[in-house]
This record gives sequence, structure tokens and C-alpha cells, in this order.
Amino acid sequence: MHGNRNGRACPNRALFLLLSLALVLVPYAKGRCQSTGSDTAHGESRLQMDQAVMCEEVRDLAPVNVSVVFSVDIGKVSCFTLFDPVPQKTVVYHTWFHRDQESTRKRLALRPPRWSTVSSIQLRETDKGPWRVVISDDTGHIFGIMRFSVTD
Amino acid sequence: MLAFLSTVRWQDIADIALTSYILFRFYVLFRGTTVFRVITGIALLGFFQRVAVSLGLIVTSWVMQGFTAVAALIIIIVFRNEIRNVLQARNLHAIFWGTGLKRQTAPVESIVQAIYDLSRQRIGALLVIPGVEDLEDVVQRGIPWQGLATREAIKTVFWPDNPVHDGAAVLQGSRIAEVGVILPLSHRENLPSAYGTRHRAALGLTEVTDSMVVVVSEESGRVSLVKNGRIDPIADNVELSRRVREHLGIVVGPTRRQKREKVKLVAAAVCSVLLITGVWFSFTRGLDTLITLEVPVEYVKRDPKMEILDTSVNTVSLQLRGSESLIRSLKPEQVKVRLNLSGAAMGENTFTLTSENIVLPPGVFLDKVKPPAVHVTLDVPVARSIPVQVDWAGRLDPELRIEFVSVEPDRVRVEGGSGVLEALSTLYTRKVPLAKIVESGSMTVELALPPASVEVAPDEPEEVTVTYTVKKRQK
Repeated sequence: MHGNRNGRACPNRALFLLLSLALVLVPYAKGRCQSTGSDTAHGESRLQMDQAVMCEEVRDLAPVNVSVVFSVDIGKVSCFTLFDPVPQKTVVYHTWFHRDQESTRKRLALRPPRWSTVSSIQLRETDKGPWRVVISDDTGHIFGIMRFSVTD
Repeated sequence: MLAFLSTVRWQDIADIALTSYILFRFYVLFRGTTVFRVITGIALLGFFQRVAVSLGLIVTSWVMQGFTAVAALIIIIVFRNEIRNVLQARNLHAIFWGTGLKRQTAPVESIVQAIYDLSRQRIGALLVIPGVEDLEDVVQRGIPWQGLATREAIKTVFWPDNPVHDGAAVLQGSRIAEVGVILPLSHRENLPSAYGTRHRAALGLTEVTDSMVVVVSEESGRVSLVKNGRIDPIADNVELSRRVREHLGIVVGPTRRQKREKVKLVAAAVCSVLLITGVWFSFTRGLDTLITLEVPVEYVKRDPKMEILDTSVNTVSLQLRGSESLIRSLKPEQVKVRLNLSGAAMGENTFTLTSENIVLPPGVFLDKVKPPAVHVTLDVPVARSIPVQVDWAGRLDPELRIEFVSVEPDRVRVEGGSGVLEALSTLYTRKVPLAKIVESGSMTVELALPPASVEVAPDEPEEVTVTYTVKKRQK
């Protein structure tokens, strides 16, 4: 009888353990598959952009005078981006467009677990007008587009 | 001379020959009719109008030009019956080839014998021998007869006991077409008293038509022949026979009249050739007149799925060459530039303009085309939602900054060619001045829409609301 009970209990326990293991491992396995996919930004634990602003300068890793209009007299404008989390070492791009014409493309490295980065351009008289900065990864995924103007 | 002849193409010779023959046929068909006289008059009017223009007679040339312009209409309306008769009365051979010299079909001898029988018996008679012109609108229709015009038949028609003997009999070829026909009376007042109603009726008809009427007086038995409003007493049957033959154009041998007619025809043919050659020379030679025309380009046979988004030019400049008269009479609608887009593909297509694309009136030649090629951009129309960005301008107070801006709606649906919309990533607003902005607020701004081939979709706004947050600028 005991032997019989033990004989029934052992397979039940083994099945319970297998199911528990499966419940733990399946999400992990799913996450591994997505993280190796082409679009790393879509998953919840993937690279995410936490903040993106246009500013006059960056002091102590924080943007100063966030704005959408910059006088050409200030001489420089920066695009500040903060990524959190950063699961692994990677790169992002800040592509600057002046009136739909690409002006420059900056490659910026990111390091886990959290990273802020900035790109800047020097302003000239000919730079007046509407601008945008497209923030993207190396697969072409766009995290955001920052729009601003350079004026008198 | 040889150098000149070498420039003459076979088409030029065919051109002159064909037109000359048409003119000659026109003369053969319509000679002696009122239509011919009126057209000759109008041609003279046209000639004098050109003379008046060259002499600088403004009003005269203007009036003559007006007359000439409506002349064709007048001829067709007023002389429609004559034209119809000329064309209907002849078969195709007679219209295109015949000389108009008739063969003997009318029984002239029977007519003459019958007339003199009636004359001897003092029986009045009125016999109408039509010319080219139609009698339908002039006479009052009688009784259809359609009997052969024999000596006895003619005498029977005018026999006093015959109910229709008082009217006129109308001949048609070898038959009596109608009897008892009432002719229009002449209103002439100076008619001798010897002439009665028959003579007045014969005069009346010949005053308005080219018919000939043979009259036999009931009182005197005298035979008269009336033509062109003139009464000629006839001495004997020989003279009557000759006059009738002349009127009918009957040729029984190489008579003097036949020879004269042949000479006239040859002269008319020569005149036609000379006239048309002269006109041809004035139209096509002396190619020293140049003109430059701006002609719109017509795009034809476009694939209905595609739209013309852009063209490098809407008009082309054509330098044309021709004789002065042709160039002066050239109207802009006679010159066309057509581009066949049936083989065009999506995107930019380049077409080199050749003479195949250009329609010119005969005698006008193309020298140059500017530009020699036309670029046409075709695309498939699509719609896309495009983000809107504010185009700030001017100078913001240096103490201030615009920290945040939102645009409502932030995207607008636009329509245009797929290629153009593919390259269009942002719609900008019109310039928004910064000078007056001192605090947060909002405003309505119109969209600026380059390029021209892009349009806001019908149900989309052409204005956006811009809301902005203004803050103090840190030092």
C-alpha cells in the first residue's frame, strides 16, 4: 500500500516539477528569441529611449535651456537623449536634417545599464530654418524625431 | 532654272495638277450659270480686298473682307437648287471627266418641223427648252407628260382642242416632260403691242433663267425665239434648227461653235493651271519669312492610372519658315505640339521633339524647336499622412525660450504622386513670427505646401493649431 502510494506520488511530484520548470523557462526562452531578433527596441526589456530633448548645452549630464527654437547667435544646438534600460552595448544614431536635407549623422555608443548621450551642431547663418533630428538604432528603428527651428 | 526645278517635289506637281483640275471641272460644270458669275464676282472682291489692304484702305478692305467671308454661305443658300441640279443632272463621268459638249439627244428636227407645222396652221405654241438652271422655283408646275417629243406629239399638245394647249410645254432631253406649265410674266413696259401674253411669258422665264423658249404667234403664225430676255424673230426652219442646236450644245460635226467651245475649254484649262501655279508659288515659294510661335504642348494617350506631376515646359518655341502669305495667314490653332505618352513610364521621361510631334499646315516648315526636349514626370496618385512642423521665424526675446510645442493635428493627409510623396517627410507651416511671443499660448497657422503637385486631401484641414509653452531662459 505504502509502496503503491509512493509509487503514485513520485510521478505526480515529477510532473509538478516539470510544469513549474516549464513555466519558469518559457518566458525566458521567448525573451531570448526576441532579444536576438532584428528589432531590439520592441521588447519590454529592450533598449528604450527615456528622454530626448533639444537644448542649448548639457551640464552635469543634464540638458540646459530645453527649447524648440534656437537663435543662431547661441552658436550651437544639442540633441540630448537618455536611454534606460540599455541591455547591452550598442549604438544609436542622431541624424540631423535641415529642411528635409540630411545635414549630418552622428554615431553614438551606449553602455548598460543606463546611458545618456548627446550630439551637437555648430550654427551658421545658413542654418536658419526648420530642423529635425531622427534618433534611430543600427537596424533603422526610429526611437523618436525631435523638431526645432533655428532663427535670427 | 535647273536649281529651281530640283527643289520642286513630285508632291508639288501633283498639288498643282489636282487643284488645277478641280478648278477646271468647276468651270466646266458651272459655266454659264448664275453661280459661276457670282463666284467670279466674289473672287474679284477677294482680289480687290487684297489690293485694298496693300494700299492701306482700311474701311474698304474691312467691308470687302466681310462680303467675302459670308459669300460662301450666300452661294450655298441662294443657289442651292442650281448647285443641286448641276450635280444631280450629271453622272459621275460627266462631273469628273465630261466636257459639257452635249451629244445629239434632243429631236431637233422633229421640234423644228412641228413648230413650222403649227406656224402654218396659225396655232399658238410655247415650247420651253431648259438650259442648265432649274425651273422648279420659277414656273408653276403643269401636268407631267413624259412622252417622246415627236413632230405629232408636239402638235397634239398645242392643238386648240387640247385642254392644256394654252400653257407651255417643257422639253427634257428627247421627251416632253410637262405640259400646261404657267410661266412667269415679264413686267417689261416697252414691249411692242404685236407681242401677246405668250411672248410676255417667254420673256419672263428667260429673264430669270437660261432657258430658251420657242414661241409661235397664234395671230400671225410668226416664229420667235426668246433667250436671255430677248425676242428674236426666226426667218426659217434652218435658222431655228441652228439656234436650238446652239442652245443645246449639240455637236453633229466639227462646227465653228464646237471649235470655239473646244478653244474655250483649252483656254480654261490653261488658265486654271496658270492661276493655281501662281497661287502655289505665292504660297510655297520665297521661303524667306520666319516666325516664332509659342505653342502649348498637348500630352496625349497618357496611361489613365498615372498623372502628369511635372513637366519641364508647358509651351515650346517653334521657329517656322514659309512664304509670307502663308506665314501671315497662319493661325495659332493650326500649329500643334503633341507628345504621345503611351510609352511613358513612371518617373521622369524625356521626349525629344521632332517633326512627328509637330502638326503644321501645308507649306509651313519647321526650322527649330526650343527646347528640343521635354521632360515629363508621371506618377501614380496616392495619399499619405505627413507630420506637420512649425516653421518659426524672426527673433524670440533672448530672455525666453519655447520649451514645448504641440501641433493639432500633428499629421495631415495629403495627395500627390507616389514618387513625390515618398520623398516628402514633413509638412511645414507658413512662417510663424516669434517677435510677439512673450508668454504661452496658441495660434492657428496655415500650411505651406511645396511642391505644387501635392494637395491636402479634401477632408483634411489646411490649418493647424500650434500650442506653445514659454519659459524663462537660464543664464
